[in-house]
Amino acid sequence: MNEMVRTLEPFEIKDYLRLQLMPHFMCPGCGHGIALRALLWAVHELAIDKNKLAIVSGIGCSGRVGAYIDANTFHTTHGRPLAFATGLKLARPDLTVVVITGDGDCLAIGGNHLIHACRRNLDLTCLMLNNEVYGMTGGQVSPTTSANRLTTTTPGGNAEPTFDACKLAEAAGASFVGREVTRQAMALKNVIRDGIAHPGFSFIEAISDCTEIYGRKNDLGESPEMILSQKSDMRPEAFGNVADEPFRPNRLVTGILAKQARPEYGAAYRDYAVRVKSKPGRPR
Amino acid sequence: MSHAPTALHGNHACALGAIAAGCRFFAGYPITPSSEVAEHMSRELPHVDGTFIQMEDEIASLAACIGASLGGVKTMTATSGPGFSLMQENLGYAAMTETPCVIINVMRGGPSTGMPTRPAQGDIMQARWGTHGDHPVIVVAPASVQEVYTQTIRAFNLAEEFRTPVIVLYDEIVAHLMETVSLPAKGKAEVKDRKWATGAEVGFMPYAETDDLVPVMSRPGDGHRVHVTGLTHTPDGFPTQKPELADRALRRLVDKIELNRDRIDEVEEIETADADILVVAVGIVARAARRAVEMLRAEGVKAGLLRPVTLWPFPEAQVRNAAERASVIVVPEMNTGQLSLEIERLAGRGKRIRTIHRIDGEPIGPDEIAQTIREA
Amino acid sequence: MSSPVKSKGARPKTKAGSDTAAEPAGEPVKPARAGGNILIVGVGGQGVLMIAKVVALLAQKQGYQVKQSEVHGMAKRGGIVFSHVRYGPEVWSPTIVKGEADALIALEWAEGLRWLDHLKHEGVFIADTRRIVPPFACRSRKAGAPINYAKETPADIVSRVADGFALDASTIAEGFGDARAANTVLLGVLSASLAYPEADWLEVIEASVPPKSRDINRNAFAAGREWALAARANPTLRFDSSITSYEAPAGLLQPKITLEINAAWCKGCDICVKLCPERCLALNAEQVAVLKSPDACTGCHICEWLCPDFAISIRTSHPEPVTA
Ligand SMILES: Cc1ncc(C[n+]2csc(CCOP(=O)(O)OP(=O)(O)O)c2C)c(N)n1
Ligand code: SF4
Ligand code: SF4
Ligand code: SF4
Ligand SMILES: [Mg+2]
Repeated sequence: MNEMVRTLEPFEIKDYLRLQLMPHFMCPGCGHGIALRALLWAVHELAIDKNKLAIVSGIGCSGRVGAYIDANTFHTTHGRPLAFATGLKLARPDLTVVVITGDGDCLAIGGNHLIHACRRNLDLTCLMLNNEVYGMTGGQVSPTTSANRLTTTTPGGNAEPTFDACKLAEAAGASFVGREVTRQAMALKNVIRDGIAHPGFSFIEAISDCTEIYGRKNDLGESPEMILSQKSDMRPEAFGNVADEPFRPNRLVTGILAKQARPEYGAAYRDYAVRVKSKPGRPR
Repeated sequence: MSHAPTALHGNHACALGAIAAGCRFFAGYPITPSSEVAEHMSRELPHVDGTFIQMEDEIASLAACIGASLGGVKTMTATSGPGFSLMQENLGYAAMTETPCVIINVMRGGPSTGMPTRPAQGDIMQARWGTHGDHPVIVVAPASVQEVYTQTIRAFNLAEEFRTPVIVLYDEIVAHLMETVSLPAKGKAEVKDRKWATGAEVGFMPYAETDDLVPVMSRPGDGHRVHVTGLTHTPDGFPTQKPELADRALRRLVDKIELNRDRIDEVEEIETADADILVVAVGIVARAARRAVEMLRAEGVKAGLLRPVTLWPFPEAQVRNAAERASVIVVPEMNTGQLSLEIERLAGRGKRIRTIHRIDGEPIGPDEIAQTIREA
Repeated sequence: MSSPVKSKGARPKTKAGSDTAAEPAGEPVKPARAGGNILIVGVGGQGVLMIAKVVALLAQKQGYQVKQSEVHGMAKRGGIVFSHVRYGPEVWSPTIVKGEADALIALEWAEGLRWLDHLKHEGVFIADTRRIVPPFACRSRKAGAPINYAKETPADIVSRVADGFALDASTIAEGFGDARAANTVLLGVLSASLAYPEADWLEVIEASVPPKSRDINRNAFAAGREWALAARANPTLRFDSSITSYEAPAGLLQPKITLEINAAWCKGCDICVKLCPERCLALNAEQVAVLKSPDACTGCHICEWLCPDFAISIRTSHPEPVTA
């Protein structure tokens, strides 16, 4: 923990919520609520002014999370929050822009926007709440649904391969990539905090539980069982590179997975504009 | 106002009009025949501390524009048929969230990829009804390079005044036509801005019902932390499913355009006062129609032209008025019948309507219109 | 592995708990011409290896053959670190067997006690009294709860070994601006037990520390040496007799934990109930979480952090320490 963090007032989540909308609409045990707390906690630790915080979310249970945040919140269209956020951040570099999206929102309908957002490296933070399912529409298969899982559109078990969203983001050029489970709320907060603080595009995957729909359909237990199993399903980063003998089979690595210094696009464009402006013989 | 005459292409005039109107953000995706708008914007914007970005597709382009507009900046995108189709969902979002933005749609031959380099007027109805749900929209349809310039400025002003997306609809011919235009001196164009909240208001409602039904907008960072959603929402910005509240919210959206038509409507009428034969045409076709009317007047035929400049909302009263006096209405258009549907709806029973439809990628000429009038 | 240093056979009474107190020796230990065995112990981040390096360089400077071995790891996490330095005309084994260390230098109190059996009967024991309590020494997770950690006081130990020195080297080093120089304070103390020229010590210390911290280290060394010489002259100064107990001041620092459950927000998901490490929560008949055993609650925040509905809030207030 750094000094700044320690001198802050203790985190009171109520300071960051639109209390008139509480309790929120999510199902009992839904991991999205835990991820929301982690985000607000990170915002608190970074001492971000709520007036200068913009939350841009897509459509889905994940997308609905934004409305509860006492900030400038934009609930956009399915799959497109990164594109909205790109315009907002370019127009208003003074705002801290965080995108909240779901696995379907971000990787299926919004997959193209994700890879281009990673490539551009604009200073945005993309928090993808991965519950392996289309929660809002009642539990259809998503690009991250694990093999053989039951969904309303894979009644015989999912036969499609899945995305490793973090690998995708890293390969596309995201300069900060992290993943954490909601079970590790504090670690998730830390990854989000570091991602927001990182100058450039940060992609953070929060492994979240859809308890009501996905959990039930697949007999994954009640909410506590689901969240407890996250821990054993995930490998700490230190074991991530053990290529042939994974800590647990078929599972993802957590922690900060990639971090690199690349030019931030907003600043790069503004530099470009200064150069163009100073050139004589402006083309018309 | 001092005017400097310059020869410009339509798409260039569009970009210059946007800059003059205060546009400081452009996001687009290349498509013939609109690409030059983006190219000119990419050159102009850095000089006025604006931002240009080429997005990954048209969906993202309009999304980025809306995002930037919500951030407080005037924004524009430009496209043609296929891209315009992709923009529909976000166009509805802009209408629902009352986010000002300008969309240039340079019409080309469709459907699908169609004839990219040929003109058409196939998007007249799509511009009005392309998105799902009931929504208000303003569409302006310039017919000359000069008008592309002035109507682009006007589109921005309407977007700001009424907090709505405004579409500028012209076709491939106007886009690539080079004409002499007179531009107002720098900073002399009439420019309007949306009503901004100061941030100090107590109990601020982002979608409050004001006198002119257009709510005051809050800029992020200024103090009101508002919620913007495409879900049907109440004046506080938060979603509702209560029938009476939903009805009220959606009716205001429609009413803010309908009840302010005196500030939105614009038609050009040529010799309609005593016209027995009324031609109704938009855009490039109206230019041919005007020539046809002149030819026929010289022949002694009482012809007149009515040209909606604000195409949507449709100038119903003006059309009804002129139609009442005429015995025949001629509607030439570069599609299989879109404008004529509106005319049929408004002309009244028993009125004779003659239509000309061309969908071969060739413009409709004055002779063709004149001949139809003669036969009418 | 065959060791050239033969065990003397007789086990020195160095084990913690041994009751045979030795008379503290009054004279500095003259290093045997045959060389010496120096054992340095501590936890990660304290500078064990720096001491080892200094001793090794110093011995080299005296013309000895030197062997050094070390175990280190978990450097940032308080993991155990130790180093053996053996020097002499000819050294074979790099490790010191039990009962053969001429000097045991402990940067952390409990580590010193753990290694006491390696010290020769007449060997010198030098320890920092500063304690670093490892997490596994906590029997109860409650803040301020008694800990399962070496309770022997400096007085206990110094009176038990032949030639013991216990000082708060960390505080002395802090006085020079950097607590991390505590290791150099201990080197100063050691220097008073080995008859090598002070200038040689300073030379190797300067070669072993970054240039910008040379002054701090020189001061720290001088302070340690001065303290040791004074303590040799006056055995009552060999340890801080004011430390009479390492037992936690019971109850004094117990923070007050308030756990609030917002019943209107709770959806009865059961997460807090099942994930509380102390099992102090339960769902009531209305399926709302309630605090069943407040006394068991440690204020760990797990229930608060994992409640998806933000229904639990925990506040911990620390009472003002009682000052006389
Ligand atoms: C263009 C469009 N297509 C489909 C939908 C319907 N839809 C709403 S949410 C959703 C999926 C959301 O899944 P995900 O992003 O994983 O979010 P979750 O609800 O699981 O948090 C879909 C398909 C929509 N709103 N818009
Ligand atoms: S449907 Fe699933 S993802 Fe959506 S709120 Fe319920 S538990 Fe959460
Ligand atoms: S975790 Fe929260 S919502 Fe779930 S039972 Fe406990 S207090 Fe209630
Ligand atoms: S803070 Fe919560 S989880 Fe921790 S012991 Fe207390 S009740 Fe249990
Ligand atoms: Mg999902």
